Amino acid sequence: MIKTDVIIIGGGATGTGIARDMALRGIDHCLIEKKDFAAGATGACHGLLHSGGRYTVKDPEAARECITENTILRKIGKKCVEPTEGLFVRLPGDTIEYRDDFLKSCKETGIKTKILSASEAIKLVPNLNPSLLEAVKVPDASIDPFRLCMLNVISSQRRGGKIFTHHKVVEIVKTRGRCTGVKVLDKFSAEIIEISGKVIINASGAWGSGIAKMAGSDVPMSLSKGSLIIANHRLSNLVINRLRPSSNGDIIVPNETVSLAGTTSIHVDDPDNLTTDPGEIDLIRSEAAMMLPDFNNIRLIRSYTGVRPLLKAADTSSGDRSISRGFQIIDHKNGMFSILGGKLTTYRLMAEKMTNRVADHFGIKIPCTTAEVPLEGQEDLSGYPVSKRLGKIENIMCECELVSRSKVKKVIEDTGTKNIGDIQHRTRLGMGPCQGGFCTYRALGLMQETGQVSPEESLDTLKRFLQRRYKGSRPLLYGDQLREEQLVEGIYLSLLGMAEHEV
Amino acid sequence: MKYDIAVIGSGMSGLMASIYLAEQGLNTAIVSRGDPICSVSSGCIDIAGTGKKTLDSINNFPEEHPYNKVGEKGISYSIQYFLNIMKEEGYDYTGNFEKNRNILTPIGKHRVTSLVPFPMKHADIGKDEAFHIISFKDIKDFFPSYIRGVFPDTSISVFNAGTHTTMGIAAKMDNKDFLSTFITWIKSQKIKQNKIGIPAVLGITKTYEIIKKLEIETGKFFFEIPTLPPSIPGIRLYRSLKSIAEKKGVSFYGSAEITDFKKEKDRIINITIKKPGRPDYVNADAFILATGSFVSGGLFLDKNIFKETVFNLPVYSPVEKEVFNQDFFKLGHPIEKSGILIDNNFNATESAYSNLFIAGSILANSETMKYQCGHGMAIATGIAAAKSAKEYLK
Repeated sequence: MIKTDVIIIGGGATGTGIARDMALRGIDHCLIEKKDFAAGATGACHGLLHSGGRYTVKDPEAARECITENTILRKIGKKCVEPTEGLFVRLPGDTIEYRDDFLKSCKETGIKTKILSASEAIKLVPNLNPSLLEAVKVPDASIDPFRLCMLNVISSQRRGGKIFTHHKVVEIVKTRGRCTGVKVLDKFSAEIIEISGKVIINASGAWGSGIAKMAGSDVPMSLSKGSLIIANHRLSNLVINRLRPSSNGDIIVPNETVSLAGTTSIHVDDPDNLTTDPGEIDLIRSEAAMMLPDFNNIRLIRSYTGVRPLLKAADTSSGDRSISRGFQIIDHKNGMFSILGGKLTTYRLMAEKMTNRVADHFGIKIPCTTAEVPLEGQEDLSGYPVSKRLGKIENIMCECELVSRSKVKKVIEDTGTKNIGDIQHRTRLGMGPCQGGFCTYRALGLMQETGQVSPEESLDTLKRFLQRRYKGSRPLLYGDQLREEQLVEGIYLSLLGMAEHEV
Repeated sequence: MKYDIAVIGSGMSGLMASIYLAEQGLNTAIVSRGDPICSVSSGCIDIAGTGKKTLDSINNFPEEHPYNKVGEKGISYSIQYFLNIMKEEGYDYTGNFEKNRNILTPIGKHRVTSLVPFPMKHADIGKDEAFHIISFKDIKDFFPSYIRGVFPDTSISVFNAGTHTTMGIAAKMDNKDFLSTFITWIKSQKIKQNKIGIPAVLGITKTYEIIKKLEIETGKFFFEIPTLPPSIPGIRLYRSLKSIAEKKGVSFYGSAEITDFKKEKDRIINITIKKPGRPDYVNADAFILATGSFVSGGLFLDKNIFKETVFNLPVYSPVEKEVFNQDFFKLGHPIEKSGILIDNNFNATESAYSNLFIAGSILANSETMKYQCGHGMAIATGIAAAKSAKEYLK
């Protein structure tokens, strides 16, 4: 039995952010995540640190939050935020009225803008559609959500926070109608651990209503899936948005060596059963190509789908996109709080508000300092650009993202992980153009050598990884990506002999 | 420049066709865009299926499979031809046309194949067979622990080669002094087992001498285990065939992207090669198209449209609506049926070109992954297409 004051459920940006805030205020806590950090909406987003421009016309309040948090995160998270800046591009057909509303609203919400002529914009991003009319520069940035969660967790762990990843909540323990603890399943050892706490925070995003139900409570949520595609090049050094009301496929974000484009917004019921429809990919591709025409011909290396946990508004007649992206804290009055909605950019603010409520509850008067104290653990990160990772020629394990063998070895030794995702999220191994086609086999080999996993376990992991990778690339198998796929099949199915033969 | 025959593609089928034609006294050229897919392969020659006997598999192949255009005699002849020329080149292959064998892969699985280069002739490992593995410190693409998971009694020793890529270690092995140091170290390991497995790094050009020296000085049998690309046995296979072709007088146009071609009635007259400055033209009386499947760039799937990339030939496409399997590990996507359909002369059935012959994995219904017949099919159809082209030129 483990005793603590606050049990946080969910290892996304919100949950890890709360853990950090609790740690900085000296509140004893423990965090439970059923997979790895950033396994839900946090890891399946664009990796865009919003300037607020996207929301400014329709939801100025959200925009104001974004620009404030954007400024804070740039300051406290230098090694997980790449200050790319962003453009909103106006193409033929995009109205001048929206542009005027946009500029006016940005001014009101405090988002710095600069109007660029078409030629100035093209100078900045040569791949832009040459028929663009103009562009507005805003302080968008690219953020690594995996690294962000890791860094939050480091602050927590350094102050005694207990973090349980790959642990699933199977029961909320109640005593006289109040939540007093949780039972969690260790997914590796299959053991059940009991943790008691005074307050439970449900920060499990799309899985929030399931957790609330375990405590006999209800949360009004609407799930909306959004799909994204990854292209094998960094086509722009700036974030590119379309200067028009929010729609499908209107954002492109450079992320280290690749570019992400999305999204869509389709209502779903089950967050565990997401698929990317070929129609979504075609839509995103053609919309992205309106802004960066290279998207028409580029090799798409992966598609993925995440789910947004949105607050249910009274009126949802105009579809999920019109539901507020704001957040809400619900006090279930039984010892459990749920924190719902929000977005990656405002995760810190959400964590602050949530922690304030808990601090009040305990009568703790220590103020929040997460906006001033830099994220700890950044000294071990290489930061941007990717070329910085190669201070000297080393034994490279992942050529796409320049991750060295020694770096992977250190992560394995430091975390004792049995999970390949843990290494990917901490080093970006396998996140570049070949999508782990070569390096996963290597990383698992190294995990065997350090005694972390048995050969059987690593082959199982490799199989699961390849199946998942294939699921992401299957909708994109044409053009040059089909060539890549045939090469990978040749390696794993033929050369390594992993195929299942029909007798 | 005018040739009797221009072969497009320097993979297995293109090289085999050009070697055969040059040997027959024809003035032959190879036009190739880059290193072929066989140079990243395991270097082993799969002929057919995963059973004990290749012929049992071939007899069960569907009627439309290209092997049926070659016939048993033709397949047997071309495999023997391959064995002969490789022997002459000093890079022997072991095995014969009818039998399959089981070699060890880097993850301890078995892989069925037919012909193996001599450094793998001892790679058939029985279930309970004892062997030792030599690996290299921090080597990038080889982790012997995978193998030990399947063969728990395997002992491992690790040599520090001072470099960690397979290509780098293989290049060092070609050096006499490095090899001597390596052999001295092996002797110091007091290895008990008679068989020693080693990642495929035993030299790039001097493999024969290296293995001979290793065996004489240590008294052990060595076998190579193919690794992830860059695969040294694949590179040796490609370089050996290329060297044979060059010795027989085949002219090479490398890094040559074909941008256009000229036809006259039902014949192709020349192809245009992109060059800095001005284009180059290769004229020939007959052409062999051996540009491979999607991975090699012979076929291209433009979203839903199947294209042949040099002559824009009509491409047969599978009838299935879903051309990719749901499961990564299931062999044979329906898309592998796509390609160029041929008649008995290896002319494309739906094209009007009488002097164009088709060979290798660009052929429709070859399904080389599903039938495990990649290099074997390339060798057999390469020589068969060459024979047809020669007949045509008479």
